[in-house]
Amino acid sequence: MNRADWMLLLPEIVLCGGGVLVLMLDAISPALRRAFTAISLLTTIVAAWAVYWVTPGHTVTGAGATFHGLLETSPTTAAFSYVILIATGLCLLASQGYLRRERILSGEYHALLLWCATGLLLMLRATELLTVFLSLELLSLCLYSLAAYHRRLAISGEAAIKYFLMGAFVSAFVLYGIALVYGATGTTRFAEIGAALAGQPTVPVFATLGFLMLIAGFGFKMSLVPFHAWSPDTYQGAPSPFVAFLSVAPKVASALVLYRLLGAVVQGGGGVGAGKWSAVVAILSVLSMVVGNLLALVQRDLKRMLAYSGIAHMGYLLLALVTLDRSSLMPVIVYLLAYALMNAGAFTVVALLYSRPGEQHLISDLAGWGYRYPLLGGCLTVCMLSLGGIPPTIGFLGKYVVFLKAVGDGHVGLAITGVLASLVGVFYYLRIVYFLYMKPETRQPEGLLIDVWGRTAAVVAALGTLALGIWPTGLLQWLIAATTAK
Amino acid sequence: METFLSLLVGNTLTRLVFFPTVAAIPLFFLARAQAKVAKVYSLVVSLIEVLFGGMYLFSHLGADGTFPLVHDGGGAFSWIPGFGIRYDMAMDGISMPLVMLGILLLPIVLLGSWKGIEKHWPLFGASMLLLTTGVLGTLVAYDLFLFYVFWEVMLVPMYLLIGIWGGERRIYAAVKFFLYTMAGSLLMLIAILWMAWTFKNLNGGVWSFAYTDLLRLDLPVHQQIWLFAAFALTFAIKVPMFPLHTWLPDAHVEAPTGGSVILAGILLKLGTYGFVRFAIPLFPHATEAAKPLLLTLAIVGIIYGALVAWVQADMKKLVAYSSIAHLGFVMLGLLALDAIAWQGSLLQMVNHGLSTGALFLLVGMLYDRRHTKKFDEFGGLAKVMPVFAFFLVFSSLASVGLPALNGFVGEFMILIGSFRTLGWVPVAIATFGVVLAAIYLLKMVQLTIWGPITKDENKTLTDLNGRELAALIPLCVLMLWIGVAPNTFLKPSRQALDGVLADYRGRVSVPSVTQAALRAPAAQVSSNTTTEAGR
Repeated sequence: MNRADWMLLLPEIVLCGGGVLVLMLDAISPALRRAFTAISLLTTIVAAWAVYWVTPGHTVTGAGATFHGLLETSPTTAAFSYVILIATGLCLLASQGYLRRERILSGEYHALLLWCATGLLLMLRATELLTVFLSLELLSLCLYSLAAYHRRLAISGEAAIKYFLMGAFVSAFVLYGIALVYGATGTTRFAEIGAALAGQPTVPVFATLGFLMLIAGFGFKMSLVPFHAWSPDTYQGAPSPFVAFLSVAPKVASALVLYRLLGAVVQGGGGVGAGKWSAVVAILSVLSMVVGNLLALVQRDLKRMLAYSGIAHMGYLLLALVTLDRSSLMPVIVYLLAYALMNAGAFTVVALLYSRPGEQHLISDLAGWGYRYPLLGGCLTVCMLSLGGIPPTIGFLGKYVVFLKAVGDGHVGLAITGVLASLVGVFYYLRIVYFLYMKPETRQPEGLLIDVWGRTAAVVAALGTLALGIWPTGLLQWLIAATTAK
Repeated sequence: METFLSLLVGNTLTRLVFFPTVAAIPLFFLARAQAKVAKVYSLVVSLIEVLFGGMYLFSHLGADGTFPLVHDGGGAFSWIPGFGIRYDMAMDGISMPLVMLGILLLPIVLLGSWKGIEKHWPLFGASMLLLTTGVLGTLVAYDLFLFYVFWEVMLVPMYLLIGIWGGERRIYAAVKFFLYTMAGSLLMLIAILWMAWTFKNLNGGVWSFAYTDLLRLDLPVHQQIWLFAAFALTFAIKVPMFPLHTWLPDAHVEAPTGGSVILAGILLKLGTYGFVRFAIPLFPHATEAAKPLLLTLAIVGIIYGALVAWVQADMKKLVAYSSIAHLGFVMLGLLALDAIAWQGSLLQMVNHGLSTGALFLLVGMLYDRRHTKKFDEFGGLAKVMPVFAFFLVFSSLASVGLPALNGFVGEFMILIGSFRTLGWVPVAIATFGVVLAAIYLLKMVQLTIWGPITKDENKTLTDLNGRELAALIPLCVLMLWIGVAPNTFLKPSRQALDGVLADYRGRVSVPSVTQAALRAPAAQVSSNTTTEAGR
């Protein structure tokens, strides 16, 4: 452990330090609370710069692995880190108005959010399972607290408890899975696991069991069917702007961990084993797409609908992982970026337009508001069209690269299932547009606080969704370069 | 980006396609109340678009009246280089008449919606302009990915048009329209991806979605059939062919006048255009295999559409069902795969846009005055609205196919051409469809404008005003012009259509390759690599 190691940890240090700073400022002078969003946002931007700075090619050290190879620093991790930091930034912007309106503005919120981001950044850089677990715990504890952040509301507590109970279970699963894998292979490093398994004639049953447990664990974080049950309840009760983060960022890091995990398995299992794991991923994918979309169809609560739609989106994402190779990463990251922008945008608008967090967020409450709030209505419409995968949005581009990967791997049947599922998706996303523009108003706005921060978040998300969908040239080139460079 | 911007300011297809979108941006900043401003602004934009269309047409139309294939900016530009997706816009004689029709309909539709659209004018104008971008883009895209993007882009404005300004069951109609179209096009997306992937594998790892590249892709017949099925389903839904037509009457009846005109005038043509441009040339062997089925459906569509139109009590529904019959004619002509029939079909696409567009406008004008479209509410209108009566009779006769008007030329050419290749049975049945068309359209004319005035409200109706005449006269002039001098309109397309047909015949005359013999598409691939390097 030397100075270079610490330098490479700069993004996490910045985020963690930013959180501590906000917390201390809160204790010293609560009058500064209004400035916390700006401070945290600045921290996020500095962290993004730090990610850029430590990525090989931009740094003096140039080393890829840190702390004896526990952490990886590569263009791939940088790309994923950016997505997480974008989600963090959007969530921070969206939160200010909500926290002020609910009179719960304090430094803990920002600190916890920044620490979440710290955990996520560590998680996607981790090259071995115990580091993954540690960062997962750092992340999860912050997430549980944030879900319960609206402490005057019973439903917020309920959401957090549900999330916590399930999450604690899953942590145990993950830990036990790690133990089993370690027992079978003698190592916790992804690369060595693959090598150790490759040396054996068959994959030991303990290792298989361990992998299944790990997949279940990260499937839980990504809210894949059948590990999805927590997400609608938690989304519904947790503070809306925080859900913009919760529904995106943990999934980003978990997807990369899942990719690494499956990479180790496929490398170890050889041809036959790879087929079996492909089948596991394919089943998870189809289940998520079908169940997510069908259940989203019948939701009357906007947040629950978005929760189920998020389940479906992770199903589409998995299509790229069914046949695992280096080319899986690019579709995954494009899809995650798309999902981060459009989902965070949607939840931002939800946070701004619904003033009673303890009650249901009925879709029908939006009736006619597309004309009352043209800007937010327009942003929500763009996000919905993007979630539905309609060009020219980045949501379409994401679906396109994922389906292209699936078709190229010969999974035409899966791709067709995917498009049919997304057809169902289009139906319920259009319902939002329908209520926004085609129904007469049913309620007067009251107690809303639509501040410039929130508007900025919505506009950034919507414009990003559109701009990257229309002109993805540079983005895709960069991502292809980032994911193929080792 | 710079290339795109320089194209946007030149006399190019890019300007033609994207000018409406760019011009639509200010409309989003207009408040609800500024309906007047929005109306005038949209109309001015649409007239400028017509001007641009005329400029483009006359700068490329040959002295002998032919229209060559012109790529925008001289060739393709890389759009998403990692996947070989290119920004490639080109117009030839096949797309030119439809593009011009689409542009011409824009101001007419805005004029026709002047009174009928009562709320949210800025959004209405913006939707119309965005829809035009989608339609024109679909017609000139020479890259399949680009084509797909435009194809989908059309859906959202149309959904808004039906859903916001439509009739009572507008939501049902809008969602049905959207989902039907989307269902087909998503399968087409998979087919496009599959083709691009196959192309890449056969072509040494170089991606391409270019139309000309994929056209050289010779696939085994069983693969062609699946791909053709995906494409044909998409286009058949759009046409719409029996039995996939059920979204159309709903959409038409619920859509506002402007929406109906655009829908009948140009959107449906994109389905038949898709067959000419993509489904038939890309998969010739599959076309041969599917011909009996499609032919049957086209003929059933002609008769079915006509019979159902006959029994309608609602003017708009009658015109809507007549569209199914007319488009059945177009499909018959396309499936004849004969030079004359194809020219007739292309002409008939334009004809249907003109005459049905005019009929929808007339129905809308009546609806603006009386807020009903039922036959039994009218009768004897010729006495109070003689000018209206003239235009209704004129458009109906054009639609029926009276010689010296446009419909006759198209239908006649389709029937002659079909007779040459398909024999007399389909032609005889289709001709019967013409008779039926005369029956139902004359029934409409008779019930609305002839006879005594039965309702008191009708006695005080005002005749057409200047704005309404301005919308109708261009359409009627064109109907007459095509009817008496069809060659002017046939000449630009002849070469392009013959080229596609010759290529088609050449490919079906040899058996398709087997799976084992799949090889790299030889011709024209080099253009791909040079553009990749040249970007």
